[in-house]
Amino acid sequence: MINRFLTDIRKYFSFSVTSARSQLKTEVASSYLNWIWWILDPLCFMLIYTYIFGYVFKSNEQYFPVFIFVGLSMWDFFNHTLKSSVKIVKRNKSVVSRVYFPKYILIVAQLLADAFKMAISFGIVVLMMIFFKIPISWNVLFFIPIIATLMLFTFGCSCIVMHFGVYVEDLSNVVNIALRFLFYLTGIFYNIKKRIPDIGAYLNDFNPLASLISAMRDCLIYCRTPNLLFLGIWFAVSVVLAVCGVALVYKEENSYLKAV
Amino acid sequence: MSEYAIEVENLCVNYKSLKSYSIKKNLLLGKRNKTQICEAVKNVSFKVKKGEILGIVGKNGSGKSTMLRAIAGIFAPNSGTVDLHGNSISLLAIGIGFQKELSGRDNIVLSGMLLGFTKEQINEKMEQIIEFSELGDFIDAPVRTYSSGMHSKLAFSITAILETQIILIDEVLSVGDARFKKKSYKKMKELITDEDRTVVIVSHDHKTIADLCDKVLWINDGELVQFGETEAVLAAYDEYMK
Repeated sequence: MINRFLTDIRKYFSFSVTSARSQLKTEVASSYLNWIWWILDPLCFMLIYTYIFGYVFKSNEQYFPVFIFVGLSMWDFFNHTLKSSVKIVKRNKSVVSRVYFPKYILIVAQLLADAFKMAISFGIVVLMMIFFKIPISWNVLFFIPIIATLMLFTFGCSCIVMHFGVYVEDLSNVVNIALRFLFYLTGIFYNIKKRIPDIGAYLNDFNPLASLISAMRDCLIYCRTPNLLFLGIWFAVSVVLAVCGVALVYKEENSYLKAV
Repeated sequence: MSEYAIEVENLCVNYKSLKSYSIKKNLLLGKRNKTQICEAVKNVSFKVKKGEILGIVGKNGSGKSTMLRAIAGIFAPNSGTVDLHGNSISLLAIGIGFQKELSGRDNIVLSGMLLGFTKEQINEKMEQIIEFSELGDFIDAPVRTYSSGMHSKLAFSITAILETQIILIDEVLSVGDARFKKKSYKKMKELITDEDRTVVIVSHDHKTIADLCDKVLWINDGELVQFGETEAVLAAYDEYMK
């Protein structure tokens, strides 16, 4: 299966890149402020959260706007990719019914489009780090393994969600609720360890998103080495999820077209 | 190389009633979907020689489109095999193949890539495709704004210009206005005279089949009724349809 996966990825990768690019292009073409939205969107949410939680609820994190922005960038990537995956086969019915290709390629394309937006977000993070004169250390290099884990984790989850989304009509409602719950448990706009007594520390480690986001904050903002044990564990879990997801898709994808 | 381009053996395709269901219906009402199995194609075998044109006839719902999809590899057969001997293949059918939000140009590139062409090859043929499709400036507008005629013209042009070794055509030869029809018919003939090109046509238009095809396959309710020379099969089919 690994071999088949590698040849398929090689064969269809340029397709997913082109597909992601045209998807972004369409998004741009169909709005007035076009690509400015990719910057404006996270920026506005960051301002809202900074206002609400910084002033109204008196959060006192150091570099609070950057703290939020890092969390938001990573969360948006995961959230958007996963949400889109639920109905992705149905949305691409026209292509799916025309020619055979491994269906997770659709997810790869979606992932790339969202990764591009996340890259813009992190570009803003860099600007903010300069603006706030945040000291940096060699720990920023952990950026790479953390992002890799996040992508792999998102890919695995999306494959599985895509598979069930084909058959279960109202899965998107369930996914939306689950994601909203996870959003509040992830501590995008508060420090999960400080704000939730007792279980906060566990939540920080055992919620994959919270774990990855706090690792990212550690290495980018606070010059700390992230918790390598949990980064390793979540990487391993992501690999398993991705392998399961791809295996599931390979096994079942032929009947997708009959259901949509 | 083998002299056959398509070898289909004991092909069976079933549709399970894989209706998508809602969680509410299943969990709250405790209703289970009955699994009904519908056999769309039953035990069909045939071979098509390289360069040959095969016509497929049969009444609506007899499994023609399903069979084409199985040959194109979009469905896996439930049993039996389809051997294409490594030839590239493309399927042309009504109303499929485009992402509605993207422009015609993007769709040409994406469709081409899925058919196994590289970006360079597609860009080389881009002008030719646009010209053949007669879409002009509309090529940069989103496909959702196209009329159904324009839609089909674009689909046909992609398949006709980006030549794959096997072309499967599902009821689309009668698209577009009179002029485009003539043009596509001519193009079809051109492709057909090409020694290396194998074509499978599904059509309800007898004239087309009689005119273009070397052999005809008649299926009814998923079963092979007759496979042979064009005239003999068409005559028998006409008799049946009366």
